[in-house]
Amino acid sequence: MRNSIKVQRAIHNLTQQDLAEKIGVSRQTINAMEANKYVPSTLLAMRIAHLFNIKVEEVFHLEEADLM
Amino acid sequence: MSNSLLIPNHYKRLGFIILIPFLVLGALCMFRDFNFSWLDIGKSINLTDEIALTGTIAGLLMIAFSKEKTEDEYISTLRLESLQKAVLIHYILLVIATWAVHSLAYIQVMVYNMLTIPIIFIIRFHYVLAKNKA
Repeated sequence: MRNSIKVQRAIHNLTQQDLAEKIGVSRQTINAMEANKYVPSTLLAMRIAHLFNIKVEEVFHLEEADLM
Repeated sequence: MSNSLLIPNHYKRLGFIILIPFLVLGALCMFRDFNFSWLDIGKSINLTDEIALTGTIAGLLMIAFSKEKTEDEYISTLRLESLQKAVLIHYILLVIATWAVHSLAYIQVMVYNMLTIPIIFIIRFHYVLAKNKA
């Protein structure tokens, strides 16, 4: 799964630390998600989308390999 | 996600403070046959090594199982993954040692082996966290 957290963060002018604090996770978690090393839970994904005021699908996208 | 088995974050520092002197004491017992004579009880039993090992394990467990400043789902996943790797590496080393080391030296290997799980866990867990911080 790919995500555009980094892009959204830039649009909203937030640092990793700012975003981490706003959604109540550690900075390492934001870093791991942006590096595609960690796929967040549905709850965290929805929290991120809610913060950016867009749909989850606009932040997280499935890749070919995820479609089985 | 809450994990009731984790202790507060400040125990991490306390763990290091406890670990270092007891680890040094343990190394002295092991390699220099050091012991405190006032810990002699009965015939040929001295409690220095028991105390050293207890303190070392207590320190390691405090470091390993204290919370991070922010506990979240990624950190929980990382903790589980690091624990699995630590157990796996521990048993691989144990099997290698079983075949490669014999008699009295094997006992010595078992002594080190008692500590491999928390040590590998602590190194792996904190290494990945530090890498993700950069």
